[in-house]
Amino acid sequence: MTERPGPDLTRLRERAVAVLREPFLHFVVLGLLIFAFNAWRGAIGDPSDRRIVVSQAEVQRLVGQWMQTWRRPPTPGEVDALIRDHVKEEVYYREALHLGLDRNDEVVRRRMRAKMEFLAVSQLEQQTPADATLQAWLDSHAARYAQGTRYSLDQVYVAARPGDGKAAERAAATLHRLAGGADWHRAGDPLDAPAHVDAADAAALTATFGPDFAEAISSLPVGTWSGPVRSGLGLHLVRLRQVQPGHPPRLAEVRQTVENDWRAATLARRETDGYQALLNAYDVRIEQPR
Amino acid sequence: MTGFSRSALLAGAAVLALALGGCSRSGQTSAALKAPSLADTAVAAVPENTFPDQVYWGDTHLHTMNSTDAILFGSRLTPEDALRFARGEKVRSSTGIDAQLERPLDFLVVSDHSEGIGTGRELFNGNPAFMADPTLKRWHDLMLGSAGDQETAARELIGAFTHQKLPAPLLNLGNVIRIGSSTWEQQLATVERYNTPGKFTAFIGYEYTSTPKGNNLHRIVIFRDGADKVGRIQPFSSISSPNPEKLWAFLSNYEQTTGGKVLAIPHNGDLSNGLMFALTDFEGAPLTSDYARRRARWEPLTEVTQIKGDSESHPYLSPDDEFADFGKAGFDQGNLDLSTRKTKDMLAGDYAREALKRGLMLQQKLGTNPFKFGMIGATDNHTALSSAGEKGYMGDDAGVEPGAARASHRQPNAESGLERMGWQFLSGGYTAVWATANTRGAIWDGMMRKEVYGTTGTRLKLRLFGGWDFAPRDLKGNFVEAGYSRGVPMGGDLPAARHKGPPTLMVNVLKDPLGANLDRIQIVKGWVDKEGQTHEHVYNVAWSDPDKRKLDGKGKLPPVGDTVDLAHATYANSIGAAQLSTVWKDPDFDPSVRAFYYVRALEIPTPRWPVYDAVRYGAKLPADARLKDQQRGYSSPIWYDPKA
Repeated sequence: MTERPGPDLTRLRERAVAVLREPFLHFVVLGLLIFAFNAWRGAIGDPSDRRIVVSQAEVQRLVGQWMQTWRRPPTPGEVDALIRDHVKEEVYYREALHLGLDRNDEVVRRRMRAKMEFLAVSQLEQQTPADATLQAWLDSHAARYAQGTRYSLDQVYVAARPGDGKAAERAAATLHRLAGGADWHRAGDPLDAPAHVDAADAAALTATFGPDFAEAISSLPVGTWSGPVRSGLGLHLVRLRQVQPGHPPRLAEVRQTVENDWRAATLARRETDGYQALLNAYDVRIEQPR
Repeated sequence: MTGFSRSALLAGAAVLALALGGCSRSGQTSAALKAPSLADTAVAAVPENTFPDQVYWGDTHLHTMNSTDAILFGSRLTPEDALRFARGEKVRSSTGIDAQLERPLDFLVVSDHSEGIGTGRELFNGNPAFMADPTLKRWHDLMLGSAGDQETAARELIGAFTHQKLPAPLLNLGNVIRIGSSTWEQQLATVERYNTPGKFTAFIGYEYTSTPKGNNLHRIVIFRDGADKVGRIQPFSSISSPNPEKLWAFLSNYEQTTGGKVLAIPHNGDLSNGLMFALTDFEGAPLTSDYARRRARWEPLTEVTQIKGDSESHPYLSPDDEFADFGKAGFDQGNLDLSTRKTKDMLAGDYAREALKRGLMLQQKLGTNPFKFGMIGATDNHTALSSAGEKGYMGDDAGVEPGAARASHRQPNAESGLERMGWQFLSGGYTAVWATANTRGAIWDGMMRKEVYGTTGTRLKLRLFGGWDFAPRDLKGNFVEAGYSRGVPMGGDLPAARHKGPPTLMVNVLKDPLGANLDRIQIVKGWVDKEGQTHEHVYNVAWSDPDKRKLDGKGKLPPVGDTVDLAHATYANSIGAAQLSTVWKDPDFDPSVRAFYYVRALEIPTPRWPVYDAVRYGAKLPADARLKDQQRGYSSPIWYDPKA
């Protein structure tokens, strides 16, 4: 027995859904709708244009909006007022359209442009991207999310201002003692920073010691005291205990961040692409002054 | 000792064993360095430390284009841009400059003005509800015009707002609520997406912008909760009531109806013309015990330093304090919009140190101290970019982003004849919170405990503990453990004395690893005598090069020196110290009177942002422009009460 039609159908459906999600399609459909609306508007005698139906759902929406503001249900009188205002708005709206007030009005034009731009991106705001989409994003921006190399180390601090030769000598002498097996806990000057660091990445080291320190330790030998390394705080004698190489993170670990980044980038791209797609359907000529 | 922190990735590992201990003679702890991981939502519970001994940096006060004044000044960046910038991403500014922090922040409160939140954006978009009004149409057109036009629109709108002359459509509740609720809803959704427990905390918040007659009574509101609770309310605005007591009532109602938690932070006392810490309430009546209790409850912190000046102290109030002039020029001449000139009698109601003193006096009278607050710094930028610090100052609004002209930019008030100059703006501050983890709960709790300090943009690391038996030898061991186990951290109350003698304060300040060396640590003491008179004294308690710099008979120190090279906008850390620490005993202690103590830590002189502009853009600086400053940090106080 063959199962072939099943998956094919599924794939077809998936493709259809994907196409339906395409912003370009939305623009086309929207264009058709606007066209249809314009055609329909021409027929002023159409009785449907003279009927305003305020559905139960509409009333519920109005009441819901009201309650969000006032934190209590409206009185019957207030509901009436809401409905009256809604009808008034609808009447004025339709009359304004008949009068063509939407045309050649800078404000309306700007408003509609804003709406179109919003349409291009609004679906994206609601949409929860599939894992595959985010995984693809993660893969193509791997460096951004890579778990950096982690360093475990001990450090002994020697207070030193830049160019302080005596401090450098003191650091050298201390290193000599440490190499000779002296107790590192008792060496050096006090510092309000960890002496014993476990699995810290470059960002964590930078936050505590500054970028120079973070950079310098990557080339130190493992297992022995070395240095001095200059940081934003002074000099440090460092015993690198362990270096754990970085690795690309699993999606589950960084999902929210990836989703935020994907959304921000996709939003910007859709806005540009959406406009470009519409623009492509126009022949734009810019007349030069002679 | 950044210790005791564990990364989210290490969750579950036997890291709890790292609890306090394993300290060395050198005062270093054996603990894991904070190792933030990329892991976010995958980790269900963020591990918390035993003690709140990890410092987290953030900005509690930042505006985006959802703030009406911000978009009028030209900001085109959203709350999302603000969050991305704060967590370290590169973001293109409103005027097209690529900007990125040298180091990311740990938390951010996007705090747009609740007054007509989102309406500026609608004005910009040309919402028809607004365009019928000629003034609003004019502002709309100006917003689409040149930078100068945009600024005109902004100033007119702020003027109209502060003097209750806003065009009717902006006051129409229907409009404001419709726009406001959709903006608020979107903003909450964005903040939720960026809140990453263990790595980056995005707080929900807003600014309540009460400005009676141009006098600044603004408050930042910060929620501990997520959108599930905060989404049930709309932010309270000064359009509903300019009386901050009504804000407290609203916050109280929020907590009761949602089970959530919230606090408020006043800022810019310096622009309040005596009102921020007045001895009377909003209506002019004397303060009551009830007022004191509510204020102390809802306003545990005060933002004392930001772009629009520094409100710690003032030379007129503290004539013996030679460092009190920081961030005063331009900001101590009048109120927020410079519509009313400030008179000397107003100053006492404007500045934090005086307020802390008044608080002791009021406690004597009312039984509760209404001004018992911790101190923080923030930017208050209207650019969506939290860029505190001189080198990377992105401007307080989009009209003054980096360029040659901004230092000499004028902001006049035609009515009063007063004027503020671009160079007078500070580069903005940051807030440091001592907390057990980087989560909304842990950081908010740290704020509520007042275990916080503020800086003028630098990230110096400041610890303060108060107790009765600290001794210099404590600094040689694990002083953090000693501090927490035998005393209270900043923001706390000294416990009852176990024996006679003065309190001891243990303080340690470590320089910003990317910043300037330290000049000195000072302890500011305030107290009230039995007659109800308040007093203050600034003690120099630790300083660099103590072998060369000696206190004189009045307790003053010679200056630390100056390495600033104005031609290149540089300085050298060849003076000052990387770390200063001391255990200090109050030499003038009177056990029978109330007192507070806080730390002010000063860096060596460094160039101000206009100097960087001169080097980078060839800016011509006004002759009177201040070119150097000693950037600083302010701890929250520790209070002493004889009745404790």
